[in-house]
Amino acid sequence: MSMFFVFIVSAQAQKTVNGTVNSGGLPLPGANVAAKGASVETSTDIDGKFTLKVPENVTKLVVSFVGYTTKEVAITDGNMTIELSEESNALEEVVINVGYGTQKKSVVTGAISKVTAKDLENVPNGRVEQALQGRTAGVTIAMNAGQPGAGSTVRVRGITTLNDNNPLWVVDGVAVDPGALGALNQSDIESIEVLKDAASAAIYGAQSAAGVILVTTKKGKSGKLTVNYNGFEGVSSPERMLNLLNATQYGAIMNERYINGGGTGSVPYPDLGSLGKGTDWQNAVFSDSARRYLHEVSMSGGGEVSNYYFSFGTQSQEGIVMPEISNYNKKNIRLNSTHKVKDWLTIGQTIGYTHQKTIGIGNTNSEYGGPLASAINLDPITPIVETDPILANGITYSNPYVIRDNNGNPYGISGVVGQEMTNPIAYAKTRGGQYNWSDDFIGNVFAEVKLMKNLKLRSTLGAKLAYWGGQGFTPLFYLSPTVNNTTLNNLSRIENRAFNWNTENTLTYTKNIKDHNFTVLLGQGAYKNNEFFKVTSATHFGLSTNDYSEASFNDGTVTQDNKVGYAYDVPAVITTSLFGRVTYDYKEKYLFSGLIRRDGSSQFGPDNKYGTFPSVSLGWVPTKEEFWKENKIINTLKLRFSYGVTGNSRIPNFAYQAIIEGGRNYTFGNSGVVTSGSTPGRIANPELKWEETTQTNIGFDTKLLNDFTFTFDWYKKKTSGILLDPELPGYVGNEAPPFQNIGEMHNSGLEFELGYKKRINDFNLSVNANMATIKNEVDYLGPVPYYNGPGFQSMGPVTRTQVGQAYNSFYGYQTAGIFQNQEEINAYTNASGGLIQPNAVPGDFRWKDVNGDGTITADDKKFLGSPLPKMTFGFTINMDYKGFDMMIFAQGAAGNKIFQGLRRLDIGNANYSTEVLSRWNGEGTSNSYPRVSSSDNNGNFTNMSDFYLEDGDYLRFKVVQLGYTLPSTIINKIGMQKVRLYITAENLLTLTKYTGYDPEIGGDVFGIDRGYYPQARSFMFGANLQF
Amino acid sequence: MKRNIKILALTALSSLMITSCSEEFLQVDPSGLNVETNYYRNESEAFAGLVGVYDMVRKNSGGFENMITMFNAGSDDQFAGGGSSSDGAGIQSFSNYTINTNTVPRSFWSDYYRGIYRANLMLVKLPGVPMDETTKARFTAEAKVLRAYYYFNLVRMFKNVPLILEPLSPSQYYSVTQADPADVYAQIESDITSSIDNLPMTVNVDTDGGRLTQGAARAILGKVYLYQGKNSQAAAEFAQVNGTPGSVSQYGYSLVANYNDLWNFSNKFNSESVLEVSHSAQGSYWGIWGGNADEGNTVNIMVGPRSYVRLNSAFAPDLPSGWSFNVFTEDFFTFMQGDPRLNATVLNLNALKTAGHADYIGGYQDTGYFLNKFMPKQADVYSGPGDAVLNYRQNTYAIRLADTYLMEAEALGGTGTRAQALLDAVRSRVGLPSVPVSMTAIKNERRRELAGEGHRWFDLVRWGDAPTALASRGFVAGKHEVLPIPASELAGTQIVQNPNY
Repeated sequence: MSMFFVFIVSAQAQKTVNGTVNSGGLPLPGANVAAKGASVETSTDIDGKFTLKVPENVTKLVVSFVGYTTKEVAITDGNMTIELSEESNALEEVVINVGYGTQKKSVVTGAISKVTAKDLENVPNGRVEQALQGRTAGVTIAMNAGQPGAGSTVRVRGITTLNDNNPLWVVDGVAVDPGALGALNQSDIESIEVLKDAASAAIYGAQSAAGVILVTTKKGKSGKLTVNYNGFEGVSSPERMLNLLNATQYGAIMNERYINGGGTGSVPYPDLGSLGKGTDWQNAVFSDSARRYLHEVSMSGGGEVSNYYFSFGTQSQEGIVMPEISNYNKKNIRLNSTHKVKDWLTIGQTIGYTHQKTIGIGNTNSEYGGPLASAINLDPITPIVETDPILANGITYSNPYVIRDNNGNPYGISGVVGQEMTNPIAYAKTRGGQYNWSDDFIGNVFAEVKLMKNLKLRSTLGAKLAYWGGQGFTPLFYLSPTVNNTTLNNLSRIENRAFNWNTENTLTYTKNIKDHNFTVLLGQGAYKNNEFFKVTSATHFGLSTNDYSEASFNDGTVTQDNKVGYAYDVPAVITTSLFGRVTYDYKEKYLFSGLIRRDGSSQFGPDNKYGTFPSVSLGWVPTKEEFWKENKIINTLKLRFSYGVTGNSRIPNFAYQAIIEGGRNYTFGNSGVVTSGSTPGRIANPELKWEETTQTNIGFDTKLLNDFTFTFDWYKKKTSGILLDPELPGYVGNEAPPFQNIGEMHNSGLEFELGYKKRINDFNLSVNANMATIKNEVDYLGPVPYYNGPGFQSMGPVTRTQVGQAYNSFYGYQTAGIFQNQEEINAYTNASGGLIQPNAVPGDFRWKDVNGDGTITADDKKFLGSPLPKMTFGFTINMDYKGFDMMIFAQGAAGNKIFQGLRRLDIGNANYSTEVLSRWNGEGTSNSYPRVSSSDNNGNFTNMSDFYLEDGDYLRFKVVQLGYTLPSTIINKIGMQKVRLYITAENLLTLTKYTGYDPEIGGDVFGIDRGYYPQARSFMFGANLQF
Repeated sequence: MKRNIKILALTALSSLMITSCSEEFLQVDPSGLNVETNYYRNESEAFAGLVGVYDMVRKNSGGFENMITMFNAGSDDQFAGGGSSSDGAGIQSFSNYTINTNTVPRSFWSDYYRGIYRANLMLVKLPGVPMDETTKARFTAEAKVLRAYYYFNLVRMFKNVPLILEPLSPSQYYSVTQADPADVYAQIESDITSSIDNLPMTVNVDTDGGRLTQGAARAILGKVYLYQGKNSQAAAEFAQVNGTPGSVSQYGYSLVANYNDLWNFSNKFNSESVLEVSHSAQGSYWGIWGGNADEGNTVNIMVGPRSYVRLNSAFAPDLPSGWSFNVFTEDFFTFMQGDPRLNATVLNLNALKTAGHADYIGGYQDTGYFLNKFMPKQADVYSGPGDAVLNYRQNTYAIRLADTYLMEAEALGGTGTRAQALLDAVRSRVGLPSVPVSMTAIKNERRRELAGEGHRWFDLVRWGDAPTALASRGFVAGKHEVLPIPASELAGTQIVQNPNY
């Protein structure tokens, strides 16, 4: 019956309405024009024009645009002109996705930041984390590497736990783990909401403690088909290089090291004059012309019943470090559609497919090899290619698998810098055929049923199907006496596939009784990650070819014994949930929201299977009170308070059980075959449960002086029950201690978001700025006094997590200048007159005797600062004048330290940065850089100390873009709606005092530089076209 | 119709809610995995547990922190070496006697306790395993003797150690105290004496080499007595192990004719081997190095020269590069002059480099005198999956017959015809004439015969010679006879640090 009805409606007589939407006399593109009482609508084009077919009986249009007052106008014949005025209260119209529903920003009581498609459209297409960086207060983001396609470390409101601090990413209702975010195409994003406070995040219960980020992809809009093209071509280059010693300087320093170390006889480099500048290894590995391009097309449109959004994109980016072994390719396709099947039934779907292929240099932030570490550490005397025939035919290059250039000359092998350091050009030749790939399908289907007036049922089924893997070929090669493979080459492949699904059903009831507005949500969800998650790997050894392009698993000469493989299944993670939320407001003046979620998880121990997460938030809008006199200073003001409880259920599989583990093997007899042994692994803990985070948030949103918006938040969040497995005393003898809910930490911070918008005749200016402070402190760690963080070579741990300090703070000795002469050493005495550093010689560091016991021991180490920025900030300036537009987007961080660990400690002959030229080499020469010596008994370089720490403050001009839109008078003639050309500079300039490549260093512990792959500076030329 | 669909939708929703909230839905089976409480159901599962106890024997020469290189570094014959003065804080600080609670590698303590935990667990579980009683008695004896061996290494390294004989319950984790060393020794003795009869006289070395025998257990027991000064008891045990000097003993032991053959990677479980530590090339890789599943011999890669290049194949051996640990001192090289065992013991790269036959990058404390007993040849480099440097398969001797000969001679006080015969047998095997037996002669012979095998430091301490011999290294009498207890064992526990640390 209803179906017929729809049919009849659509068959009704229609009329066409034309018009232009203006604001302040200027055309307003993108405004929504809808027929009142009928479900047809369209958007205005670049010139503010629209054409809409409406049923004959429609008499009015509803015209709306974000930031403008919605207007109803009567339909008139001929070309209508509709003038929209800017909203006096811009807060109101913005709609926020609060999870399982939306709210107008004016009544939102939680701390939620939103980034929209408009904010992102001019940012060069990259990963979504990068798109979010610097956009919202309280979200700290740092790239894990400058390798194209690399992910970032994202922290919402600081460090929530000692474990997994990644926020929960939900893309169109499907949870996506951070590693798979590369599958998301930035241009497809309609909006990103960051649920920062617990009261907002708690709707995601046991997965929400580290914050929730909701990503919504674009939907089609009814109206005429629009086709958009966006594309650019560009080149990337490094922003800066390290200053390393050239060959002559290197020789001089090595000689000095030798003499200071007690060397006698001839110095290693007696003839410095012959060395010249030598090899610039950095120059050899960095590219100034790494290519980068993007082409993408999207189509959007629809009618009364269906609308759709379709996009296709392809992009490629070469890395700035050895582009032939560092590049990234991505192809993505998306189809989103919604269909109003009946008046009471809407169905829809979203699906995105992405293929990615990454070729990486290997170690992106590691002191153990890789081209960057080699370029930093190799001596500048070894040539890139050995052309001297006597040397080239010498014993050094006699191995048949030495890598050679096209002329047959061998690539230089250093005779003085060994270990993992190898000629990077030769190294690249051994990496051919290595790549990783992924195919991701992420999507959902939903049905929305209007059960009765005000009551809506929504059922969704979401799924993520992922295939990923890698392939690698290890040829026979000889890069150095240490790094070589001269026995069997091999070809290996690993393939993974995993399927996650979830179903969610919600009932939403909305009711307005006079000025009382209610929304009640009831919901249920079931989630299964790793419905299947299978890993399979195979390696074939001893292929008949040593050329990766010919290497094949079909190679028939590989014997059965040389085919090695393994496979395993990853266990499932299951969650079931019930949740409910009530939101209420009275005249949008008094605001209330309360919610509760109950989650059960397969990861929890049998004694604690279900966790409950409640929250409440309140708001008050005093400017709506009658006593508030309207004034030009404070236009609107909303005060907010919230409190909530969230959880973190990311507990390792079977952590609550004592599983018998194999691999405790021993070899009996002569055959060389091991006998398998097993012992219990971890000790069981049936009480194991989620980590719990409570958070209080107080804030306000205001509009000031008509042109400014300002948001402020203060929060304090406290996590308890942090999962720890404190190491038991060794005499207990167990394989691994039990996981227990032990640790506690808290974060507090202030967040500011400022907006400014002004139109002066033809000139438009908008500025958005944000800033946040973070203070993190560990409150309790159980029986363990501290946890050591990551180490650096033989130096041992460089950070420590301890009660009263920030998570993973740098920990080491404190220097107090350099002993200039023996008298100073003799004068550095303890209470009993003994020398504090009896083994020191002039030129060595004076270590501070922090505990005052008269000797220098590990007890004299102290906390030296945090790698986590105390402050993050960002700003965006948008300007346009007539056809020209310009955007400047910058972001930065401050208050953190960076550990600069670029030089290998255990390779005495490794090259130095030019800072060494200002070393101590005689009384009065330096009080900050110690002497160089081959024997470092004072630990000048081998002790973790403040010598290795630098300020990590930076301000980076992330995107600067200049665009020009051709006048419509010209382009209309060629049938185009919009033609915009632009040039973009990405990472144009970074202001920092840090001496490494790049101050933005992600990772579980930020700010540890082991030869970090720096981000590229790119220049791009592109076009936006609309048909 | 519309109404019906709505009802259907509601029904579907409510049924989903019911299903998804049931406990069973939340249950994930650890498929293919066993939980401790229902394991050890039969002989093969008991055996898997026993293998886990054997696993820790590998500590002698597996992993960066192994007994051989560590205790070589602390002796007067060898340096730590390595890449630099910071290459391995533990081994370096032991070599120059700056070792303290923070630098002592924890694993020398905790790995042996791990073995003890596994033995304790087996001793609790074994009585309940339905299996053949004779086999069960053998498994029990093996677990006990291994526990005794682990305790012996602990008590001679750290002296004051807790004596734990059952898996601890959580309430006991932090209340354990150290035992009187005499009690630890008493437990070791009783564990071995009560087990010997349940061990086989010998095993088929092709299949079971490395499993404990009566001979191995007696050798450990003799050594345990010797370290306590119970010399007559020690001599009695060693006499059973050794039999008539130079002949085949009741357990089939005899000296290998050619000393050089002892260091052949393939010559496993030979007649001189009493307690052998087994290694194999099993595709070990960096990720598991030093852990349970790593079966490789790490001493091999550690003692090799850095960035070695053979320039003249007529003179220089074909070696892979290594990490240059445990180089011999000039003094030791001088001491060994004229001894037929010199070349098997020391690879003189100093001479080869000077002559232009080979080149290498000198590491820390480089003398050019490399430890040849464990020096891998290029042909020993493993080529299968995994990391080649972690897959050397040379077995090492925790106790070999020449060692028990000399220990018996020592237990006999270094006098008498039997002591003379034992000393002579060791010397005549390498073609050296008899010298009159004395403690000095025995000490010198041990130094030469067992050089680089990790015994010297323990010998010096046992003889009371360490303060003199190691004075120049910084050895302090009354302190350095034992290692400091690792800091991790002191925090929050009742464990007391050893004196003067």
